[in-house]
Order: sequence, then structure tokens, then C-alpha cells
Amino acid sequence: MAEAIRRRWGHFRRQPVFTGFCLFMAVLALNIIIQTPAKFFTVSNFRILLSKNMPLILTCLGQSVLMMCGVLDLSTGIQLAFVNVIAIMLPQELGVPVGLGWACALTGGVLISLFCGFCIVKLRLPALLTTFSITYIIKGVNVLIMGEPQGKVEKIIYKTYDSVLFGFLPFAALILLAVLLIWQYIKRTRYGRHMYAVGNNPRNAYAVGINPERVQMKAFLIKGFIVGLAGLCLTASNASGNPLQAEEYGIRSLSACMLGGMNFGGWGTLSCGLFGAGFLVIVQNAVYYLFNFLTKAIQGLMINSYWQNLVSDTIIFLGLLATIITAKAQRETLKQGFVKQLKRGEKYGG
Amino acid sequence: MFEMRGITKDFDAVKALKGASLSVRPGEIRSLLGANGSGKSTLVKVLAGLVKPDGGEVFIDGKPVRIRTSYDSKQLGIATAFQDLSLIPTMTVIDNIKLNKETVGRFGTIDVKKDRRDVEELLKLFRVRCDLDAYAQTLMPSTQSMLEVAKAVYAKPRLLLLDEVTATLHHDEIEGLFELLRKLRDEGTAIVYVTHRMKEVAKLCDSATIMRNGETVAELARDELNDLDGIVYHMTGKVPDKAKACGAQAAAAEGEALLEVSGLKYSPKVRDLSLTAYKGEILGIGGLDGQGQSEFIRLLLGEFQPEAGAIRYRGKEVRFRRPAEAVENGIGFISGERNREAIFPLRTIAENLFVGRTATGGLFKFIGNRRVNGFAREAVEKYNIKVGELEDPASSLSGGNQQKLIVARWIAVMPELLLLDDPTKGVDIASRREIHQILRQCAQKGMTVVVSSSDNDELMDLADRIYVFYEGRVQALLSCEDKTQERLVAEMMGFAEKEERANG
Amino acid sequence: MGSGLRIRRFVKYNRPGMALVIALFLLLITVLINPKSLNINTFGSILVQTMLLSFAAAGQTMVVISGGVDLSVGSVMSMAAVITTGIMQGQGGRFAQVILATVAMGAAIGLLNGVCAVRVGLPPIVITLAVSYVVTRLQYVFTGGMPTGVAAALFKKTVQYRIFGLIPAATMYAVVIWALAFFLIHRSRFGKQLYLTGNNESAARLNGINTRKIRVLTFVLSGVFSAVAGVLGAGYMGMSQCQLFDNYAYNSLVAVIVGGSLFVGGVGSYFGSITGSLVMIVLSNGLTVLDISQPVRNLVLGLVMVILLTLYNRAKPIRQ
Repeated sequence: MAEAIRRRWGHFRRQPVFTGFCLFMAVLALNIIIQTPAKFFTVSNFRILLSKNMPLILTCLGQSVLMMCGVLDLSTGIQLAFVNVIAIMLPQELGVPVGLGWACALTGGVLISLFCGFCIVKLRLPALLTTFSITYIIKGVNVLIMGEPQGKVEKIIYKTYDSVLFGFLPFAALILLAVLLIWQYIKRTRYGRHMYAVGNNPRNAYAVGINPERVQMKAFLIKGFIVGLAGLCLTASNASGNPLQAEEYGIRSLSACMLGGMNFGGWGTLSCGLFGAGFLVIVQNAVYYLFNFLTKAIQGLMINSYWQNLVSDTIIFLGLLATIITAKAQRETLKQGFVKQLKRGEKYGG
Repeated sequence: MFEMRGITKDFDAVKALKGASLSVRPGEIRSLLGANGSGKSTLVKVLAGLVKPDGGEVFIDGKPVRIRTSYDSKQLGIATAFQDLSLIPTMTVIDNIKLNKETVGRFGTIDVKKDRRDVEELLKLFRVRCDLDAYAQTLMPSTQSMLEVAKAVYAKPRLLLLDEVTATLHHDEIEGLFELLRKLRDEGTAIVYVTHRMKEVAKLCDSATIMRNGETVAELARDELNDLDGIVYHMTGKVPDKAKACGAQAAAAEGEALLEVSGLKYSPKVRDLSLTAYKGEILGIGGLDGQGQSEFIRLLLGEFQPEAGAIRYRGKEVRFRRPAEAVENGIGFISGERNREAIFPLRTIAENLFVGRTATGGLFKFIGNRRVNGFAREAVEKYNIKVGELEDPASSLSGGNQQKLIVARWIAVMPELLLLDDPTKGVDIASRREIHQILRQCAQKGMTVVVSSSDNDELMDLADRIYVFYEGRVQALLSCEDKTQERLVAEMMGFAEKEERANG
Repeated sequence: MGSGLRIRRFVKYNRPGMALVIALFLLLITVLINPKSLNINTFGSILVQTMLLSFAAAGQTMVVISGGVDLSVGSVMSMAAVITTGIMQGQGGRFAQVILATVAMGAAIGLLNGVCAVRVGLPPIVITLAVSYVVTRLQYVFTGGMPTGVAAALFKKTVQYRIFGLIPAATMYAVVIWALAFFLIHRSRFGKQLYLTGNNESAARLNGINTRKIRVLTFVLSGVFSAVAGVLGAGYMGMSQCQLFDNYAYNSLVAVIVGGSLFVGGVGSYFGSITGSLVMIVLSNGLTVLDISQPVRNLVLGLVMVILLTLYNRAKPIRQ
């Protein structure tokens, strides 16, 4: 039994998601200490953390799906705002029933994601710069649809979104669980395997008869759906519309995936995105409570909110650098183990 | 019955295939032979669907077929084991073998248990022992090669293509593999076996097709497979020469050693290299493709760092951390891989010529156009490089002129040690002769030249002494009377392997 | 050579010249649509703004030629502007301190960018973007969101004043900066190594160029040029705000690519970047004159880039 556990642990250590896991656990521990366990492990704390941050978490998951296939999309963030403005403006300006309007918004999210996919996969344009430029295009489109932040959302929607079911399960967590469950299914299909293959080595995947283009376009489809959900969560969370929000979610979701252990070589899973997102969320939370604590503890200490953002952004930046170092270390140990095997093999002639 | 006729393929300026043909019957193991650059790998890639031919046709059982993608190739019953492996490094053994052939169970998910059983059976057949859940990149190269073949065989193909799969295998594994291949052949599979090891051809194959310069030049039956001279003749187009007189190339006997290498190691290609280069000599490095020659040159240059061993240059032990350091110390590098390693296609001819001067010197010194153009004009005249205008991009030159440019670039800087890696690959005869002449003049002036080449004629012509590399070690050192074409080819093929090694 | 062939050669191979033609063409259209815009004031302001953008584009040109991208140009400029007004506080005689502080800041940020992009191995676009966010945060932290101070009066004059209402006094800055940039890119060994590194990194490395050093240097120089541009920008605006010049990051990139530099590196010229800047400013000016709203501007900018990429920067397919 112990042997089996040790083997599983050893196997886990060699996965890329291990870095993400460690980083997440580290800041989680820090956060629990700072916020005090009493205040951290409350339902209301979880509710707030999850419902406010669900759009970001979902975006990170979507981005990890893309990175698994060897592509990415920096405009993911502003796409949330796109979904948001459609969801608000359709009922407001055109009198479309809210349910239908939101469904259209979701579809819009999928379509715009497919557009990005088309540019990157079919036209083979450089992913980073192209999606960065598409951000500008979407920004323009958003403001054309909705000139200024406005709109409202039915009370029942945002109340449900912020609510807690059965006394302990935040509604937002339900959405997350649904997405994770869908992913567990996809992972076990042939398509799921093909995603890994294409992301890691498209040429070899092609040699086996897989069509990398189709696999990557499907990834954009999946991500579009997740982003659509995220946009709807954002709408429910803010209970209004804003055409220029969430732009930075693009680079942040990219950072989250990298923090979670993925790099641009397509090795990693959704859990990388999950742990990376967790890291981002917890860091911000921890810094907030830390500053809270400091201002209370040290009299007369005035720290403006800008410091908070600076500190959390810097920590994230450092985390990014750290992942590259751990990735290099992983590759080194891989190479060492490999060389050792080679030496052993040489004893047997050849 | 699989047939290819008149296949042509151009890669940019290089004509890889010029009307090649290949045919193989079910129940036959046909070997595909050829020197470096003969086009055999490209021909295999056409069948595998990785390369789109510009001309020619493929027939299966007399009917013409189109292979547009690798998927088409699979549908037609063709499976390929590639020389550079087609495994996904970060996927497990099971996932790799089953890739795109996974069994689908209930609800559309993969039946993991059945997959595992299938793979276990397959590996038992191949007598491969490894952890099924290990990532492909953590396995030994020999295991990876076996898996690559297993993956191809698993597809139960009608035509099995094997491209240099035994390069990393141990003796026993090769025997086991051959048994399996013979069984497959007896069951009716057609097999094409690409290799450079003549012993294997004699042991395994029923017939052979020989390629040279992109064309098919001979088809041999079983009884002709033991005639080494005949095969060399087809592969090189020449009858093996008698030795030339040793002449006044006695520099080696009394010269001072400029370069001494001992015990150099760099996995996986370089196992244990030791050699010496003397001042003012032209040292040749021969051998088949991929025996460690390029890696050796790059180790000297500082592009790679050796894992073990020492390099003594100018009498002192050195360890260059990057090529820039080597260049500062009087080393120059000319690569035959022009596009990747020597030519700057978008930059002008003048700039390309000036590279040697650009690389060394004060970083913020003024370099005016007049200086660059003046230097370029001199070089163009001196080395007879045919150019349009000096401002034209370097990509506008022919291969031969590009190579002359690269040589001119370095000669002008007069390094002490000039390293060349296959310098006249794809260069026309006239330019090649001019380049050889230039190199000889430089050696006479005291430059030490180390030239690695896959062209035996070039080595015979240029080099005073020739080291032959085989699987990462120095197989032989040829000089004076030893320096014959026959001896060279024999050493390259490993034919003169000691008997102990052959018996494992 | 027939004149038809000459024209086609010009269009295809002389990108900087083409950019100049396009700029004049756009200007013509703007004037035709709104004849009131044909006045000395407009032209003068176009000239000054082009100069400012071209200063920011100097560093960007170097980075792009070496094969990278620098998206921190805007935030470094904004930071430099904030530092400028912060130190000057409307008083003269502090120019030396301003230059020292801003150049040091720009060089430090550039070094950070360079080391992360080259030694750590993260793609430049991600690194410079992440760094730009941190720099922006720093601006808010230092100023509490509201930068104080204004540029010194004399300094402002040197940037804003126009001889005969047309020729900007800022030309004297332009002469120095353009000459420096031109020397570095086109007439120094660094520039030669830069082009080679960008065109074929492995060949450059194998032929003896220390490509790592070159690439890090381009980022450092980009930081320095952006900082100087920020100082002059503060003089032009008279005051500063957080994130004042953020759009210069993207605009300088488009200017450089319009001017003929390739995104993959190895090709480009500073003259092209200057004319590319002119195109950007004329375009921006035209959009303002035509009363085009901000969102449509964004749309246009984004589309322009995507079209440029489609025309010049597509990758090779897997099957050859």
C-alpha cells in the first residue's frame, strides 16, 4: 500500500502540474495564516472568493485548454466583456427575453473564439501578436455595442449567483464543478488524447494520422464555451455591463497557466490552469488581508490600495520567473535520469 | 504490390528526388540503400504522406493512388517507423502506441483496460520490457526505437517502412527484431528496410534498391547482395580507386599539434573521441551521416559543451562556452547547411561577406558603408563570386556562389583553425574545385583546416589524413597508403568491425 | 529600365518610401474631406507628434529587428513623464537630474526585460506586457494616482514652440536622437550584429556573434529611448498623468512594421520607422478630423495589424 502511494507520488512529482500545486499550496498556507483559520474556513469567505473570481478562474481553465494544444489567445479577457455587453444590450435595447439574450451572448463568445482560432490555426498567423491585435478590434466592437457602462440584471439572477446552496455550497462552485466534470469526460475520449499529442509535437501527431488543425479548432470551440460561461458569470457578478473590463484577464490567464506549470510546449492539463488561477486569487486575497493587518497593527501606517496591486502583481511576476527555473530543473533531472539509464545500458554492449 | 514511378521533389533550390522509383511485393523484404543525400528518406516520406511529390505516381496492385496526407497513407495500409522517431515525448508508452487507434468503450470514452492488455501483448511479442506508464522521453533510445517499430507493426500494415531503425539497438534486440520481420514477411507483409549497415542487408533482405543523387540506379537480387564492390560502385558511381601517391604531405609527421582532443563525450552521438590536428595540415573527417561528426565540430566551436574529455588548443586546455569565444580565439566555422547556419538570406551580399569582420571588434565602433562595400568588392573579385549587385540579398545567389561567399568571409579573417562541416553539399563541380583550391592555399600559408564531409571524393582530394568516425568513436585513421576509396568505404560501413563486436 | 518597372520596384522594395507616399496620400484625403484642417497649426502638431512617436519607435525598431517585441515602451514613457514633472515641479535647472533619473529607470526596466526574455526564455511579448503592468502599478504607487507638478516653463517651450508656427523647436532634439538612433542601427558594429542576429540567430551565433548580449542590449536601449521620449512627451503635454503614453507601445510597434521592419526580424530601417510614425500620426489625426470615435479607432488599429500580419508573417504548414 505504502509502495503504491510512493509510486503515485513519484509519478505526480514529475508532472508539470506539480509546480503549480506547490505554488498554490504555499500561498494558500500563507493566506490561512494571515486571515486566521477562523475567518478563512467560513462559508461566506468561500462564497465571496469563488463568486467574485469565477470569471477569472474559468478564463484560466479555457486558456489551459488552448495551451494544451499548443495555441493560445491573449484576447480571451476582452471576450468576456463582449459576452457581457451582448447579454445586457440584447434585452435592454432590442427587448429580447433575458434567457434568449444570454444564450445569444454565449454563442457570441463561441463565435468570436472561433474567429481567433481561424486566424491562428488556418491563417497560421503568430498567435501572441495576432490575438493582442484582436484585443483592440474587440475593444472597438464592444464600445460600439455599448457606449458606456450601463445596464442592469434581474435581481433573481444575481441573487442566485451570489447564493449558497444547502448551507455550504456556493452557487459559483457549482458552475466550476460542472465545467470540471465536462472536462473529465473530454479527457477520456480519443479527442482528449489527441489534444495532448498535437500540443506536444504536432508533426509527430500528424505522422500518426491526426489532423492538428481540426484538433486545435475544436479546442477554440471548447474554450469559447467556457469563456461564454465566464462572461455570463461576470454579468451576474457585477449585475451590469462594462465594455472595457476584464481586458487584463488575457495575460493573467496566460500567466496562471504558466504558474500552474504549463509552458508553450503543450505539456500540462486543466489542473495547471486551475492551480494557477487559484494562485492568482489567493495571492490577491492574502495581500489584501496582509495590508489590512499591517495598517491595524502599525499605527499611522498609510498604504494606498495601489500598493496592494503592486505587491500582488510583483509576486505573480516572480512566480512566473520561478516556473521557468523549475521547468529547467525538471528538464535537467529528466536528462540526468536519461543519461544514467544510457550508462547502465552501455554495460550490456552496443 | 506497391510501386512508385518517376517521383520528383524539389525543396526550394535543392532537387531531392529526380525520378526515383521503388517497387516491393508482399512477402518481400527489400532494402533501400544510398549514400547521404541520395533521397532515400525523402522517398519514404512520400509514401508516408509527409512530403508531397512534385511529380510521379504511386500504384498499389496496379491501381494509381493519391497519398495526400499521412491519414491517406494509413488508410492504404502503409505504416512507417521513422528514423527521427514519431513518438510523443510527454505521453506514456500505452498512449503512444495506441495513438489514433484507441479502443472506444461505453459513452465514447477510451477503454483503458483493453488498451493496456493490447499493448502488453504487443510488447511481449517484441520482447521489450519497460514500464507501460513511463513517458516516452524517459526511455532509453533503444527502447524508443523498438517502440517506434512496435507502433508501426501494431497497425497491421500491408506495407511496413523502416527507416534506419537499428541505429540505437543492441545486438540481441536486432536479432529479435529480424525474427519478427521474417515472420511478418512470411505472413505476406511487404517490407522496405532503409539502412546503412551492409551486414544487416546481407542477413535480412531479399533484394535491394540503390539510390544515388535522387534517382534509382540499381535493383539487386538476393545473390548480388554480398558483392560489396558492386554496391559501392552503384552508390558512388565510380570504381574504387587505387591509392594516390602520398606526396609531400608530410606536415603531419613533423608538425606541431594545434589541436588535441581526448576522450570527448557528448550523448548520445559522441561516445569517445580522440584525435590530433597539426598546424598547416588539412584533416579530413569521414563517415556516414550522423556518426558524431557534426557534433564533434560543434564541440570544438563551443556551441556544445562536452560531458567528458578535454580539448587542447594552442597547447592549452580550453573550454569555450559559446562560439563567440572560439571565434575570438582564432577559430572559424563554415557550414554546408547554408540556410540554417551560414547565410543571412535577407541581408545583402556585401553584409554577408563582412560577417567575419562584424563578429569581432568593438561593439560601438563606426562601420561605414564604404568600408563594407570595398571589402565586398575585393572579395567578389578575388574569389570569383558571380553576383548581380552587391546590394542584392544573399538569397539571390546560387548554392555554389553562396558557399564561395561563406568561404571568402572566413578566409579574409585568416583564422588559425578553420572548421568545415560538409562545405560543398549541393555545390556544383566548378565551384567545388575553386573552394578546394582556396583551402589548399590557406593550408600552405599555415592555416589548419579540419573538414568533415560526407563526400568521399572530396576527402580523398583535400585531406592529408582522414579520421573515420563510426558510432561516436574514431574507427580508423587513414593516411598515405591507407588512404584509398575502398578502405574508406569499408571503414565507414563498419565492415572492418572487429569480430568480437559482431558476436556481441 | 522602364518607368512601370521602376514604380513596381519602388512599391515592393522601398517600404519606407512607400510609407511616406501613403502618409501624404492620407493627408490629402483628410484635407479634401475637411478643408479646414489645412492649416499651419495642424501640420505643426503633426510634425511634433511624429517626432515623439519616432523617438519611442527608435528602441522598438532595434528590438523588432532583433526578432523581439517591446510592449513596455508605453509604460516606460508614462513613468518617465511622471518622474519628469515630479522632479521639475515647474522649476527650471533640473533637467540634468531628470535625464539621469529617467534614463536610469529606462535602462533598468530594459535590462529586466532583456534578461527575462533572453536568459530565462519567456517570450518577449509576455515579459514586456507583464513588466508594463508592474511599471504602471508603480506609477500609481509613487503618485497616489494623481501626479503633481508640471514641466519647467523653459523646457516646455523647447518642445512646444514652433518657428513661423510650423517648424517645431523640438527639431533640435530630433536631430540628436535621430542621429544617435541612425548611428546605432545603421553605422555601428552593434547594428550590423543586430541585423544578423535577427535574420538568422543560429548562423549569427555559429559565426561568432554573442547573440545573447545583443538581444539584451536591444531591450536596454529600448528602455532608454522610451524614457527620453517620455521626458519630451511631458514637455509637450506640460503636465503628466498615470498611463498617459500607454498607447505608444502598440503605436510604435505598428509604426515600425508599417515602415518595413519584419516581425520575424532581420529587416528594417530607422528611416522606415520615422515614416511609419508619420503614417500613424496622420492616420490618427485624420480619424480625429473625421470625428471617428475611439472604439472605431481601436477597431481600425487592430485590423491594420492583423492585415499586416496576414500579408507578411504567415508560418509554414506542417506538410511540405
